Amino acid sequence: MSSHVPSVSRPSSWPSSIVFVGIALVLAALPLAAGAGNYFLGLLISALILAGISLAWALLGNLGGMVSFGHAAFFGVGSYASALLSAKLGLPVLLSVPLAGVIAVGASLLMIPALRLSGPYFALAILAYSQIFRILATELSWLTGGAAGFQAIPQLPTVLGLDLASRSGSYVLLVVVVALCALVYALVRRSLVGTALRAIADSEDATRVVGVNSMLLKAWMLALSAFITGVFGALNAHIIGFLEPDYAFSGVWSVLPIIAAIFGGYRTTFGPIGGAVIIYLFDQVVAKSIIAVGHQILLGFLLAAMILLAPNGLLGLAERFLKGRRDAEA
Amino acid sequence: MIRKSIVSLSLALAMAVGTAAASAEELLIGAHMPLTGSLARSGQTFTEGMQIAVRQFNERSDKYKFKVEVIDDESTPAKAVSAVEKLVNDGAVAVIGGYGSNIIGPASAASNNLGKVYITAGAVSDELTARGLKTFFRINNNAGYQRGVENLVAELKPSAVSIIASTREAPALLAKGLEQSLAEKGVKVTVHSFDPAITDFKPIINKVKLRDKADMIVMSAYENDYVGIIRAAKVLKPDVKLIVGVWSLATPKMYSEFPDLMNNVVGTSFVPFPVEVNDPEGKRFADLYREVYNKDIEYLATLSFVETTILLEAISRAAEAGTLDKGGLPDEMRKTDRQTLLGRVKFDETGDNPFFSLSMGQHRDGKIVLVSPQANANGSIVYPGLPW
Repeated sequence: MSSHVPSVSRPSSWPSSIVFVGIALVLAALPLAAGAGNYFLGLLISALILAGISLAWALLGNLGGMVSFGHAAFFGVGSYASALLSAKLGLPVLLSVPLAGVIAVGASLLMIPALRLSGPYFALAILAYSQIFRILATELSWLTGGAAGFQAIPQLPTVLGLDLASRSGSYVLLVVVVALCALVYALVRRSLVGTALRAIADSEDATRVVGVNSMLLKAWMLALSAFITGVFGALNAHIIGFLEPDYAFSGVWSVLPIIAAIFGGYRTTFGPIGGAVIIYLFDQVVAKSIIAVGHQILLGFLLAAMILLAPNGLLGLAERFLKGRRDAEA
Repeated sequence: MIRKSIVSLSLALAMAVGTAAASAEELLIGAHMPLTGSLARSGQTFTEGMQIAVRQFNERSDKYKFKVEVIDDESTPAKAVSAVEKLVNDGAVAVIGGYGSNIIGPASAASNNLGKVYITAGAVSDELTARGLKTFFRINNNAGYQRGVENLVAELKPSAVSIIASTREAPALLAKGLEQSLAEKGVKVTVHSFDPAITDFKPIINKVKLRDKADMIVMSAYENDYVGIIRAAKVLKPDVKLIVGVWSLATPKMYSEFPDLMNNVVGTSFVPFPVEVNDPEGKRFADLYREVYNKDIEYLATLSFVETTILLEAISRAAEAGTLDKGGLPDEMRKTDRQTLLGRVKFDETGDNPFFSLSMGQHRDGKIVLVSPQANANGSIVYPGLPW
């Protein structure tokens, strides 16, 4: 019974994390080693972009207890910022991408007053906030191209002989960026700040009583989450090569990462990444081959089953399985 | 002896027919369409027109037979790009595009990178043809829709026009073009842009009624918006003489679903309803479409039929010339110059069809009468003419 109640998990030990990272890197290298075609690499690229946003969303929820329905705002701001910086100001793409993350952080600062809210009130405030940016992108047509969209987006460059605009190049770049973001997330979790933030997620009042500046810590997490989401928005813009407000600020960028993170286990570092890759590939490869039109219904069944059987997500299920085996051996 | 000869002759004939059928080269074309989500109806109709074009072409071609593989792009750019890559991987010699410039842009760029011809009838953004892609072609464009409305305005000569435009890409582009061109012709134009999320149009109609004092309302929007705008106008009854829209308005389906709102409303159209098609190709298309889908041809199906037919003809020509595998298809596409159900189709250097133009049809008690331009009209316009 108790295993069905989500609980704050302690960060796992370094050796087990290293094993996890090793397995993840081997899995990441497999498609290239197996000579996967453009189609499969394209699917993995989309899945990794989703994984990046899922990670950023889980970071905010896990460290600080903030449930966001508005990550589309940071994704869209990052997309447009990098596209405009590189196309209109001529900045190198590899510089405009992190700058886009910084601009997404700037956009997140406007949300600081909402940090006083909690639970559904914060979620609603950030949802409304994302709509403001979509309307701004539509109305500022002299800058963004408005509803007609923006197409002249420079592609990713070639670095050390690796064409990052190619499918294999984009895939390698995204694996590296997702891994870096996961590392930052893991380091924050393990720090004292991370401990305080997880305590805030459990009881904000109690942590304030012991002298923790919860507002400041939550603001830092919001900024970090916005930065990561903005960077993935920027990378997506350069890979897809087209932006329009309805696409860049689509609710899909808010909802799908939540589904992926919960599926994988949002209280873990690798859960959101694994969840994003698995649900995207399951939907596009398995479900689509079974039901060409309306395949999303299979994904719905899978998610419902997952939430019922393993509310702590895929990694939670794996942990339960391993613990069961250890107990049996003991 | 005679019996033996007949049997031998029959066998020889059967073998000859069998050999011809067996020697027909089978080619695959790919398509990505929005088959789920809010644009599913458009994607489905596009697919129907495409399937009929393939079937009709295969009926008359002995040498080349076509198969079509359709993938649902879910109106998502990344999935459309993946669909193109999968289709080409599966052996498609060319790709037919879906719906919306945000989808067509990245998908056609992916197709160009893979060296495959990409044709669409579902995106009007001018930026698409400005990219200089050698393999990109489209049969319709914003200018064609604009010309249709401009011709009507020139014939009716209203002194003031109110344009109610969605901020979505295609409607916004059309509204911008119309605002400029009608103002140049001395018509007083007021544009009211609205967010696609809006469903109550009474505040806008109030502005049209009290401030604009327009003779004509032009709606640059989509089906649900048309219904909301006309419903609000029916309540507030502004002193206008005509309500005009563009795509997907002058269709039998709109009248059958909203008979109280559609009478006398004008929209872009190719053919009147009941369908009157005179040329043999169009007649066969209409008959086959009715036989297979038990309904009359409509706007999107016609667009899709024409683009697919043109593509199949160009592929056959390239295959015949032995250039299909050597990148010769774009050149064959550029050699296209023929009359179609949409009028003349010929591609310029950018892949656009500068001859695209539309007629305007008016809902009349369940029928659609072509009323503009005069050269294509099969009846006179009711003007003033309103749904109330």
